[in-house]
Amino acid sequence: MRNARARSSAGAALPRGLSRRSLVQAGGGLSLAAVLPLAACGTGGGTTGGKTPIRFLYATGDETWNTVAKAVADAFNAQSATAVVELDPLPAGSDYATAMKTMDATGNWPALVDMRDTATYLEAGKLAPIPAEVTDLLNEEVYAPSEDGEVYIVPTTALNGELGFNIVYDKDYFVEHGLAVPATYAEFIALLDAVRSNGDGALATAAGEVWPSDQLWKPLAAPWFARYDEAGGFWNAVAAGEASIEDLREPLERLKTITDEYVIEGWQSTQDAQTSTLLVNGQAVMATSSAGIGRLNDIAKVDPGFNAGIFAVPADDGALHVLKNSVNGDTASGFAISAQAREDGRQYDAAVEFLKFYFAVGTCDLMEEQGMIAPNIEAADQIRRNDSIPGAADYFALLENPDLTWFQNDSAMPAFSTFNTFFRQARIEMQDGQTTLDECIAKTQEEFENLAAEG
Amino acid sequence: MSAATAETPAPEALMRPAAPRGRARAKRQRTVMLLFIAPALAVYVVMVIAPSLQSVQLSLTDWDGVNPAYDYVGLRNYQDILTSDRFWNATRNTLVLGLGSAVIVNVIALAVALMLDRLHRAQGFFRTIVYLPALVSGFIAATIWKYMLNFNFGAANTVLRDLGFEGAAMDWLGDNDIVVGVLLFIICFTLGGNTTLIYLANLQSVPQELVEAAKIDGASGRQVFRYVTWPMLAGAVTVNMTLAMIAGWTIFDQVMVLTAGGPGFISETMAFFIYKVGFGEYRAGYGSAAAIVLFVVVMATTVLANRYMRSREVQG
Repeated sequence: MRNARARSSAGAALPRGLSRRSLVQAGGGLSLAAVLPLAACGTGGGTTGGKTPIRFLYATGDETWNTVAKAVADAFNAQSATAVVELDPLPAGSDYATAMKTMDATGNWPALVDMRDTATYLEAGKLAPIPAEVTDLLNEEVYAPSEDGEVYIVPTTALNGELGFNIVYDKDYFVEHGLAVPATYAEFIALLDAVRSNGDGALATAAGEVWPSDQLWKPLAAPWFARYDEAGGFWNAVAAGEASIEDLREPLERLKTITDEYVIEGWQSTQDAQTSTLLVNGQAVMATSSAGIGRLNDIAKVDPGFNAGIFAVPADDGALHVLKNSVNGDTASGFAISAQAREDGRQYDAAVEFLKFYFAVGTCDLMEEQGMIAPNIEAADQIRRNDSIPGAADYFALLENPDLTWFQNDSAMPAFSTFNTFFRQARIEMQDGQTTLDECIAKTQEEFENLAAEG
Repeated sequence: MSAATAETPAPEALMRPAAPRGRARAKRQRTVMLLFIAPALAVYVVMVIAPSLQSVQLSLTDWDGVNPAYDYVGLRNYQDILTSDRFWNATRNTLVLGLGSAVIVNVIALAVALMLDRLHRAQGFFRTIVYLPALVSGFIAATIWKYMLNFNFGAANTVLRDLGFEGAAMDWLGDNDIVVGVLLFIICFTLGGNTTLIYLANLQSVPQELVEAAKIDGASGRQVFRYVTWPMLAGAVTVNMTLAMIAGWTIFDQVMVLTAGGPGFISETMAFFIYKVGFGEYRAGYGSAAAIVLFVVVMATTVLANRYMRSREVQG
């Protein structure tokens, strides 16, 4: 019976009209059919209506930047006869570094990239030089040639350093309770105390993603980092053995104290964008931010009636230490043109055309209208500044503040971005009470030394 | 003469000349089969096998994942991994989530399957309801949970606060004491559908004659399950436990979406750790070494667990 079934099923497998040869041919055909689409995946390029399409990859963060990117791309596409910019936004919360690595691994570089970890990709030969016809449009302080004399990165927005790392607050609450913007660190703590004693949430901050944890840490640590400004920066001093993570004990203690005493519950899982909502909803009177005027613009969109203000966390002596942007190296960020685009001359030309458009006065006016501070172009005095956003005047006043002190803190360590991610997580761990301050310092020092040793 | 008799194999003398033809036919059929699987095999070799083998080589380097230039560093990556607290924390989480989810999912799935098996009406409807969560991708399910468990605005805490249980509102995804447990709950919720269906299919293939015979002999419902149904399910338990453990060892989506390994490093799993160091921190060599270690752990635990469960099957 079993054999009968076997024969019967064999017969069913080969119906009349379907010979073995045809089966073999079908199998071969299927193989080919499967391979051809895969091969087709490797092809690319092409044009859109005779124009060269180029992609622009950028990290979506605050809503203002998203709006600016779209508005500028639309304006460019409307006037360009030769190129079309297609936006390639990476949604907030995604790991931008990973997306860039994936893009690199698949050989799928867009022509224009909102660059991070610049030195890593520059060293790997993934970036193309930005020509003088673009850099000539910029203030010469906001770009710099690399070791080979070429410029690889230009800013997407005004390089006002980390002035955007500040505290956004509810002005009406301050007026109602007779509170004032602090002039010293002691006054800042007194302010937090005053809000807490009113029974209100003093400060909202976020660590749901790792990077926003910098928003509270960096202003607190700035006075300590600033001490190494003339010595080539704190991190280089650590690498040289002239400083150590132990030197950051006091700002780390302050971070822990503020987190424990004044930050509202749930910060560990709060996303960056949620801090604006917490502020507008009255769940917190102050919120950390790293978007500067962009954050004010976001708040104004959510609640045009909300009276927002900005202040920077002062040092003990009242100085406002603010990190100056790096225009080169791993921490420099901004526009880059990919080396892959240069291989296709049309893509490179289109990218250059877009950058020239981006740094034109008319486009800068458009950015200001959307709520972003335009890049530092050579013709900056012709830009129509937008001071209509509630709180924007506070931001511009910070730029003019006599206590404002710029400092630099670039790191020459190739693996600094790796270390920085670790340090952020180690700080969150300490803030959360999973480790002690001593453990945090010890493991951070160890990680730094390990990565420095790896070169 | 019955049909079966008519199909009785021919005498050996008649079969002998046909054997070479049979072998040739079998060979041709194998060729056809190979051609059919060739496309999938080619893709699998290129996309999975080759990179996996290459990761062994990369694990011995300091490659950053971007720059084509790298140096061989011997076993330093392995040494660093095995002496890293972060790695062992990820290993512990993986064991908790992997073994925990395997046991919990199997217990719940078996209970649900037993209930479904006894249903005489609307079984299809309830089967669909039970299976639905498995149809949603882990990433999407985790995103929905993330909104629901948001400390400030999530449905879970809002309901608790509205009901007057303000103290019960927790930072579900940010409290380091509970975050791994919350992940375990969400993972179990997503993984249960397939397991339940496998148990249900096995339950429905348990010969009713045995069940009825046991009942006639005076066995209680519990005794029927213990001495008839459970031994018949031994194969399904092995399959389900193995699948659940493998899924548990490689948990990634939920961690990525819900906590990103935080707060700090507390909820990192091995798969997430590999991703984080290999892709986010530009340490592809180090990440490859971690992946090799994960492979060894998965293979060893799966083989051991499988061997144990197979031995139980024989006894059963």
